[in-house]
Amino acid sequence: MSEQFTPNNPLPQEAKLPAEIASFSPAVEAEIDAHLAKYPVKRSAILPLMFIVQRERGYLDPPGVAYLADRLGVRITDIWEVATFYSMINTKPVGKYHVQICRTLSCKIMGAGKITEHCAKRLGIKPGETTEDGMFSLSEVECLGSCGTAPMMQIGFDYHENLSAEKVDEILDSCSRGEYRYSMKS
Amino acid sequence: MSTELIKVTINGKEFQVAKGARLIDVCREQGFNIPSFCYYADLALQASCRMCLVRIEKMPKLQTSCTITCTDGMVVTTESEEIEKAQRAMVEFLLANHPLDCPICDRGGECELQEMAFDWGNLEERFTERKNAQPEKYLSPIVANDPQRCILCKRCTRVCDEWMGEDAIEAGGRGANTVIGTFGGWLNCSECGNCIEVCPTGTLLDATYRHQARPWELQQTVTTCTYCSDGCQESVGSRAGEVMRVVARDRYVNGHNGEFLCIKGRFAHTFINDETRLRTPMIRYKKGGKLIPATWDEAVKFATRGLDKAAEAHGANSIAVVGSPRLTNESLYALKKFATELVGTENYTATDAFSLSPFFQNLGGQIATHRDIRHAKTIVLIGGEPEELQPFAGKQIRQAVRNGGAKLVIINSTPIRLKERATQFLHINPETEDAAVLAIFNQAHNELAARKMGVQETELIELRRTITNTEGDVVIMFGGEVSAEAQSLLAQMPYLFNKEGRRALLHPLPLYNNSVGATDMGLMYGKLGATEMLDAAGDSVHAMYVAGSFLPQHLTGREDSLGKLDFLVVQELFETETTRFADVVFPAASFAEADGTFTNSGGLVQRVRQTIPPVNQSKQDWVITAQLSKELGVDFGFQMSASAVFGEIAERIPAYAGLRYPLLKDETNPVQVKHATIEQRDLSQESEAIRARVEKMSDTATKINATPPVGHELFKIGTLTDKLPQMHLLASGNPKPPTLAVSPLYQITVDAGMKREAIGGD
Ligand code: SF4
Ligand code: FES
Ligand code: FES
Repeated sequence: MSEQFTPNNPLPQEAKLPAEIASFSPAVEAEIDAHLAKYPVKRSAILPLMFIVQRERGYLDPPGVAYLADRLGVRITDIWEVATFYSMINTKPVGKYHVQICRTLSCKIMGAGKITEHCAKRLGIKPGETTEDGMFSLSEVECLGSCGTAPMMQIGFDYHENLSAEKVDEILDSCSRGEYRYSMKS
Repeated sequence: MSTELIKVTINGKEFQVAKGARLIDVCREQGFNIPSFCYYADLALQASCRMCLVRIEKMPKLQTSCTITCTDGMVVTTESEEIEKAQRAMVEFLLANHPLDCPICDRGGECELQEMAFDWGNLEERFTERKNAQPEKYLSPIVANDPQRCILCKRCTRVCDEWMGEDAIEAGGRGANTVIGTFGGWLNCSECGNCIEVCPTGTLLDATYRHQARPWELQQTVTTCTYCSDGCQESVGSRAGEVMRVVARDRYVNGHNGEFLCIKGRFAHTFINDETRLRTPMIRYKKGGKLIPATWDEAVKFATRGLDKAAEAHGANSIAVVGSPRLTNESLYALKKFATELVGTENYTATDAFSLSPFFQNLGGQIATHRDIRHAKTIVLIGGEPEELQPFAGKQIRQAVRNGGAKLVIINSTPIRLKERATQFLHINPETEDAAVLAIFNQAHNELAARKMGVQETELIELRRTITNTEGDVVIMFGGEVSAEAQSLLAQMPYLFNKEGRRALLHPLPLYNNSVGATDMGLMYGKLGATEMLDAAGDSVHAMYVAGSFLPQHLTGREDSLGKLDFLVVQELFETETTRFADVVFPAASFAEADGTFTNSGGLVQRVRQTIPPVNQSKQDWVITAQLSKELGVDFGFQMSASAVFGEIAERIPAYAGLRYPLLKDETNPVQVKHATIEQRDLSQESEAIRARVEKMSDTATKINATPPVGHELFKIGTLTDKLPQMHLLASGNPKPPTLAVSPLYQITVDAGMKREAIGGD
């Protein structure tokens, strides 16, 4: 790790970069470098890099934030600011299946509220929480650009559209049985 | 901004304004009240509060005057039903999410939102939605945070970034749920507290003052900070003889520092009313005995008898008079007068660790004020670390670069944090600052200097080119690393670089609030320096009269020197290593209890005003000196008035000629003292001396590569900062101490072991 933010910009203790992610595997590092090469200013690559760190570490954990600040040459608070803005970036651990239900206008009109309620009841958690077995997380997100097929939700990057309680059950069942297959790679 | 004038019509009246002026400023200058939250002069524009709306002809919708640059022929309306309606709606929106419990908020009574709600608020609240309630918390030992009161004007985040370069506080979350916060819930920064100052609401609060007093109970006195040489103007809020807080809020004070203060100025004021302040004069009747409380009369008699005896036995020169660069000009002047006119000794000095006398003896140009730094076109910083030692100068440099487009050249052996902003950073070998000065003074030394500094010769050429290509001001700043000879060269540099359209200004970075004053009052021109004086104790010096204390760096290795004296008189706030050997100790008044002046590093002489009556039985330093001299049979004629002392300073010291307290009344227009300009002189002797020393430097020194952590100087514990408990938490490492227990209202540390040994002096 370079001297860019330690000790100059000391991190909260829990965020000290552990040795194992001082760098990622060569393949991931190469992917990161490729993103960085695309922009004239390094910090412009903040979003793609966040996705990569999130994919590699499960969520954007404090060491991940530290890593990003170091790679992008910005301060940890800048990363924090962006990370908390987007609902796609998880700053807390999420379950194996991240159920994200759209709550914006079209979906809301078409009954997103009921879908959320149904999921919450079925999974026994509130939006923003994760089931105890670590299988499911539930969140409400903003418009995902699929208003024509509202209400809709997203698992990982997969869209599930024109939802009804039954359809949701079907999907969640297949997840519980471990049969769910992602069609989109995250 | 250019000097070209354009015509703007505001509310039907025509005005000539400078081209490029901002509309909100123009309107306010002309007396039209424009409400605003997010606009803050000299910060990036935000335009998020929408309070500053005006109607501009030929423009659609209402416009935010804080983002509009005046153009010729602009026709503006600032007051109309339409505008008022919009503004009232904005306040209503802000209050929709804001708790309406001003009586329990610390900012109540001086809150901009509260005031705005009086003017633009509606009687009735139409929103019934739940408020965005958030728990109160602490962001650091000294910054308390009540997130629900935030109106998202983002002054705090901009100040943190643009003034301090910290970026420690940011807005997290999105939409209505946005909150101001930090990563990990803990502020890792220099803890300047400027975010507290600029916050218009009660969101960010001073944790050391929280729930202690209400602003309307406080008596606000404008005075000058006692810590560093920047001389920030501050307003001390006191109640019943107790200092409660220090702020720079522009409703109370408008100094050259604006609302800027650093951690020490803002928070480390608790020493003033500390329990351990000396209470009465004390006498040690027998060497090795105890200090016994005495009356002022007894102590003064005892002191003068002791000094008399020493003078009789060993002559006047055996008495040394020592001041402190923390004292007012008045007190320092009295000491100098005491030394030269009454005792007649050549041995006098001030306990400074960085003497500027060679600089002022060779000064060939003007001193740059902090305002000059802000508007400089090129800044050359040799040694020093302003962000830690002179934080306001550091902020001015940062803003000059960031907002003013100035070029910054840093020559330092440590990669200090300011180098982020530098156009050129010369990372030199430790202790080779003199070589840099030599090379700038005369490029014939480039080759040697570059080799010893461990940089390329081309870097020196580039540095010179940066200076000589500048149109406008070049400010040359230097820290305590440069030697006396190098100071002389620096002082004469204006003769090398001044030319049509370019001024070379100088700005030393002394260590104490009145280091410059101590030099001006002549105290730094005595025969012996502080350490030499300690070495001479018991040898040629037999008695000492010390106002203040010797610094730890003077005393290391000389711990027992003071014990060798026949007689020692000390006037101090606290018991220190120096009072340990004193035969008489007088309790002195701190800056908050004194009237007088300080002279800052930019040569501004600024008022120190009495904010509270002297604590315990203490007296101002010059009063004590005058009392001693009276007892010795000479009346200084000060008539117990600081302004009389200053009158005498103005008469006797040419740089201060013609000054009087009434002329220093307005902190908005500070007065710069007129230091004599010394003619260009031959400096070959000094150059040779430096060259000889540089030649002996090693060619293969190892560089310092680590950037020191933020606060490594700021958080040092000294005699004064020691009295602020929060300082100990910071000094033991800024990250959240594991032993810190925080409730919404209180924070306590459970671990007394966190209190570190005193490191530095102050
Ligand atoms: S905390 Fe204060 S200064 Fe910062 S955005 Fe909120 S209201 Fe503005
Ligand atoms: S509103 Fe749900 S996808 Fe657009
Ligand atoms: S002051 Fe203009 S929008 Fe806030």
